[in-house]
Amino acid sequence: MTRFYSRLWLCLPFALVITGCKSSPPPPTAAPAKPAVSYFKVDPATAGSVSGKITFSGRPPARKVIDMSEDPACVAAHKGKAMEESIIVGNKSGLENVFVYIKSGLEGKNFETPTATVVINQGGCQFHPHIIGVQVDQPVEITNSDPVTHNIHPMAEINREWNHSQGPGDPPMHRKFVKQEIMIPVKCNIHSWMHAYIGVLNHPYFTVSKEDGSFTIANLPPGTYTLATWQEKLGTQEQQVTVAPGGQAVINFTYKGRS
Amino acid sequence: MVLLFTAGCRAKVSESPIGPSVQLHAPLGLPPVPIPPDNPPTEATIALGKRLFYDIRLSKDNTLACATCHDPEHDFSDPHPISLGVGGAKGIRNAPTLINVAYQSSQFWDGRATSLEIQAASPIADPLEMNQTHKVSVSKLAKDPVYRKMFTDAFGSKDVTLGRVERSLASFERTILSGDSAFDRFQYGGQPTALTPAQARGLALFINPIKGNCAACHTITPQYALFTDGKFHNIGIGVNDDGTLKDAGRYHETTVKSDTGAFKTPTLRNIANTAPYMHDGSLQTLEQVVSFYAGQGNSNPYIDREIKTIHLDGQERSDLVEFLKSLTGKLPPNLEEEKSHP
Ligand code: HEC
Ligand code: HEC
Repeated sequence: MTRFYSRLWLCLPFALVITGCKSSPPPPTAAPAKPAVSYFKVDPATAGSVSGKITFSGRPPARKVIDMSEDPACVAAHKGKAMEESIIVGNKSGLENVFVYIKSGLEGKNFETPTATVVINQGGCQFHPHIIGVQVDQPVEITNSDPVTHNIHPMAEINREWNHSQGPGDPPMHRKFVKQEIMIPVKCNIHSWMHAYIGVLNHPYFTVSKEDGSFTIANLPPGTYTLATWQEKLGTQEQQVTVAPGGQAVINFTYKGRS
Repeated sequence: MVLLFTAGCRAKVSESPIGPSVQLHAPLGLPPVPIPPDNPPTEATIALGKRLFYDIRLSKDNTLACATCHDPEHDFSDPHPISLGVGGAKGIRNAPTLINVAYQSSQFWDGRATSLEIQAASPIADPLEMNQTHKVSVSKLAKDPVYRKMFTDAFGSKDVTLGRVERSLASFERTILSGDSAFDRFQYGGQPTALTPAQARGLALFINPIKGNCAACHTITPQYALFTDGKFHNIGIGVNDDGTLKDAGRYHETTVKSDTGAFKTPTLRNIANTAPYMHDGSLQTLEQVVSFYAGQGNSNPYIDREIKTIHLDGQERSDLVEFLKSLTGKLPPNLEEEKSHP
């Protein structure tokens, strides 16, 4: 007790000096009432959509088998061949796992943060899904269904970079990303082959292309937008698109492979 | 008045052990055992300390002994992640092994006790542990004729005092020594085949600063290995989702910000037998511990820089685990509870 109080006394003068120095910020007047954030509401009567297909032209690169042999528990957990995921060309040259999002045209609109949780699982010593989109502040849950310890390490540059290990049977982690960032590469410090990418946007207009390369962004207010695509190996593309009231715009992208 | 009286009384009773002191034999791989000048171990104090260590009368409801949480069956550690006190009260930390505590310059995960003598009394009165006032402990022990004889043999009179209890417990604890493991025979005993090839590779990784980097904190010297630097480090255990720490650790003692979440480097002797691991018992296996390090800890503002240089692939992780298993030495005989004869 005595020790505690004597420390307190030592600290007080310092505290005073510090507050004395801090003269720059304005004196705390009556705190201005925060204006209630008004969220943009999409009018269902005029909402439209943009959809299309992303094609890979040329000979699709053969997907490599991931060598997990250094961690036998991963080999066992994966059951079957684990395939590398950086370029996946599916049905009719469709390019899977491309992140598609509205890059501009939504300025000045505030979108509510969804309460739905986005789950990233570590299973078979790979991240699922591989490409992930979330809204700013949206709850993200990270789980480990493997019998080994994993480490999730989002190498963010705009958001806070962190890494955290998750042992077998550990409870889920709950995180969020507080700023827009395209894309945050995620690795596992323990298993060098594990990669994922997270796109963080302040609006809900993003998606990931399906197995056949198709995508749809729905419930979009009419307007003119820049639609952007991001592929981890093949880079980014952009196109302008105008969505008429109630319209269904179609727009396609092609990534050229080395033939 | 009462207080003054007891204080006066205590001063009159000598707390110095009588009789010849015994030499504590340090096994291969350990330095000489440090002995405080005012408490040289004797046969009688060690025997008394041992009886006290296994005595449930030191707890409020006669259910817990020191050995309940520092269980000889688990090399003097506790298989519960967080130890349970009297009435199931849940503490906050994992009970560390008492192996080689004689060498530690501070006791507890946060180092709040500076000697074994000082440490010994605190679990008895701790409400989350044995929860019994020292006055009650002293009077319970004084009723037992066996103790009256043992205190007489050890200190020259039958008086039971807290100081005598502390000194005896400390002397017994100083005998819980582990060395002469496969590692010691390899490193200090000139037996190159004492370690398996995997264990020998693991040792090389253990001391390599850009691989395991373990020896940066779990010290190995040319003459002996205590596997601890006696210092406090934040390695990222007990980090919340927002990057704050569940237990401030060493910061409780120093109130130095950078000590937040720092805990004393524990010994790794007999580590294969003392699961679960870490101050919160959060890691269950050595595989998990080594993977945790391979992940470079959990990020938080106070994490130790040495954690960031660790790089271990799968084969290396498995070699390190094998090496950790080579640190199990045989404990001296006579540490187990004496079965009393009716
Ligand atoms: C209810 C369980 C429990 C009991 C009973 C108990 N301990 Fe402990 N002991 C612990 C825990 C938990 C810690 C770690 C606490 C901390 O660091 O804050 C600990 C720490 C210690 C340490 C420090 C070891 C180190 O490496 O820092 C020593 C020595 C010790 N105990 C001795 C004893 C003795 C002697 C007794 C009996 C008088 C005893 N303990 C009774 C749970 C217990
Ligand atoms: C920066 C110093 C530091 C480095 C480097 C370090 N350790 Fe540790 N180690 C600690 C500390 C401190 C703890 C206790 C941490 C806690 O509980 O919060 C610990 C705990 C442990 C434990 C658990 C012990 C127990 O009884 O619970 C093991 C096993 C271990 N370390 C092994 C290793 C291995 C293997 C390496 C190398 C890959 C390593 N350490 C590298 C400081 C370090």
